[in-house]
Amino acid sequence: MQSISLYENKNSFLNGLSPATKALYILTAILIPIILDYNLLKIDFIVISIILLITSKTFKKTYPMIFISGFLLLTIAIVQGLFNPNNITPILTIGAVVFYKEGLLSAFEITLNILNLIFSISILILTTKPSYIADALVAKGLSPRLGYIFVSLFLLVPQITQKLSIITDAQWSRGMETEGNLFVRIKAFIPLISPVIMSSFMDVKERSIALEVRGFNSTSKKTFLNEFIPNRANKWVFILLIVLIIISIILRGVLWLL
Amino acid sequence: MAIITIKGLKYRYPNTKVNALTDINLEINKGEFIGVIGKNGAGKSTFCQALLGIVPNFYKGLYAGEVVVCETKVTEVSISDLCQKIGLVFQNPFNQVTGAKDTVYEEIAFGLENFGVPRAEMRKRIDRSLELLDIAQYKDRAPFDLSGGQMQRMAIASIIAMQPEIIILDEPTSQLDPQGSKDVFNVVKALSEQGITIIMVSHKMEKLAQYCDRIMLLDSGKLLNFDIPQKIFNLDNLKSIPVYTKVCKKLNLKTMGDFPVTLEETKVRYDEQIKC
Amino acid sequence: MWSLKLSTASWVLIPVAVGINYIGKMIAGFLKLPLWLDCIGTCLAACLGGPVVGGLSGALNNILYGITLDPISTVYALTQTGIGIAVGYMAYKGKMNTIKGGVLTGIVAGAVAVIISTPLNIIFWDGMTGNIWGDAAFTICIANGAPVWLASFVDEILVDIPDKILVALITVGLFKSLPQNLKAIYRPAEILADVEDF
Repeated sequence: MQSISLYENKNSFLNGLSPATKALYILTAILIPIILDYNLLKIDFIVISIILLITSKTFKKTYPMIFISGFLLLTIAIVQGLFNPNNITPILTIGAVVFYKEGLLSAFEITLNILNLIFSISILILTTKPSYIADALVAKGLSPRLGYIFVSLFLLVPQITQKLSIITDAQWSRGMETEGNLFVRIKAFIPLISPVIMSSFMDVKERSIALEVRGFNSTSKKTFLNEFIPNRANKWVFILLIVLIIISIILRGVLWLL
Repeated sequence: MAIITIKGLKYRYPNTKVNALTDINLEINKGEFIGVIGKNGAGKSTFCQALLGIVPNFYKGLYAGEVVVCETKVTEVSISDLCQKIGLVFQNPFNQVTGAKDTVYEEIAFGLENFGVPRAEMRKRIDRSLELLDIAQYKDRAPFDLSGGQMQRMAIASIIAMQPEIIILDEPTSQLDPQGSKDVFNVVKALSEQGITIIMVSHKMEKLAQYCDRIMLLDSGKLLNFDIPQKIFNLDNLKSIPVYTKVCKKLNLKTMGDFPVTLEETKVRYDEQIKC
Repeated sequence: MWSLKLSTASWVLIPVAVGINYIGKMIAGFLKLPLWLDCIGTCLAACLGGPVVGGLSGALNNILYGITLDPISTVYALTQTGIGIAVGYMAYKGKMNTIKGGVLTGIVAGAVAVIISTPLNIIFWDGMTGNIWGDAAFTICIANGAPVWLASFVDEILVDIPDKILVALITVGLFKSLPQNLKAIYRPAEILADVEDF
């Protein structure tokens, strides 16, 4: 049974950076365009993120994310282009349908935001092992129990979804109707979900005891079997990002004074 | 020397009207291999859980009497404090996998990490338990990719690494194929030979007769009998007995008034019979 | 009810809750239902473990979703946390034992979802939700000159209130059928055993 984590160790430069540095990068990509109040800077960050993702051979894994958001972005572009309350300047006419510049610009800004977020967050999640994120947080004072739960999701959730596929097959072979009008389909929902729920909750007791007898509630200070050792550049990247944020704040101050 | 002492133990689960355990009194000595038998619902699992304080600390309910393990009263400490002295392995190997670890090696480390064992010591202990359970070849595999038997051995390794003095196994082989089941018994025997106290619930009467020092017979939450295998499996009303005892009963082959309970005894007795 | 020190059994509910949320969403998609039904696990965990477990399940649900599928959904962890806390609170007040209480809980949870999600929708998506029916209503409102916040509000109400009422009702049914000995681990105070003949 596979983990649903998107992480894969490719021994890349990004794999060698610490989770904290990559989290700081997300913050930088969001903050600097806001501090300088200059939206097009987001394009720079998008390009930087894409280059970093390509060089660490993980860019392909962003496709599904782009696809999920892309559909909604397209709807937004259509609705805003046609109906945005500020629409004045027609820019494109298809038959009787007129798209306006103001609405499309608004949709374009949303698109930049979303892409900037997706790509910068991808830098962290595609190149960092979930347990390293958790360990780093636990070392900083997060509850080790919460850290465990976070990491366990990646393996335990697919265990539960696997149960579903077994039950779906069983219900189908008994001739359950899963197509037809809305009422028929809603009625099919319960017999599909409830066996999985019952069996998953039955496991809860045993799993709790199994964790208890392995010191889950121990009050000792936790140690870690594996230690993540960041590459040499990590420290400098971290400092560089901090410096960039500070420079942008100073720049904004100067611009404001002028 | 008694490592476990139980006096007047009585327990009832919440929302139930009958006691799961009633008036249990017994002593178990250090290094003994104890078998626990009885019908379904006899209280075998509840008994195991009482030894660790899971009953009543986890399940709540009504509780009377006392269970003292390694000179500690189980109701006075948390399960986490106790589990460094007494380990538990149970039926379903899947539910014993933490789900937070990518490899068998890391999985075994889980308990040690929680107790703050230093890294070098951790590695030493994990290597030793991998070797003992004969699963070193799987150490880099994903825990959920193992077969049931391998997973159960990993669960035992995870407990062994914590170096408990007592290990409780609650039907550890009931969901395993014959080979997996055989492997688990071999491991438990090896642990027993190292001086670890073993308490094992099982329906494999032949194996229990062969390995156990004493066997507890539970029925409806009461301790009916607690004696050496020869005495237990010669009780009149007991239906589940080793297949060898069944055969000897049919052939009426007795040794010193009792029917043999293991293959070896049966063979010795049979050879005598042939000579006569 | 609000204790942050959770028992092991409460912690263990969280992965189960997230798993059930996932399959709820999967089945709803598979049956082409016009609703999300993606927080049944959170609601069940909240009924058993209380508002803290409910809130954590909701938060971790969206964080996992964000890490594995869609980074933007991470921000809606706020909404899911709100739903988990609301249902946990209502369950604690005994509302999740009856159909009437379930409808009430559904409305409360839906209202919480609308209040938290609407500003997020406006910030991230110009006010839209990605649900066909809700977004159609949004478009109609906008086309008729309604302000974005109002259109977005209507969009969210249409999507979330019916969804949460149905989820709460399903949860009431499922919660009832959970075994007593499981509930006893979480609610020992309610389960007073017969002491007389012990």
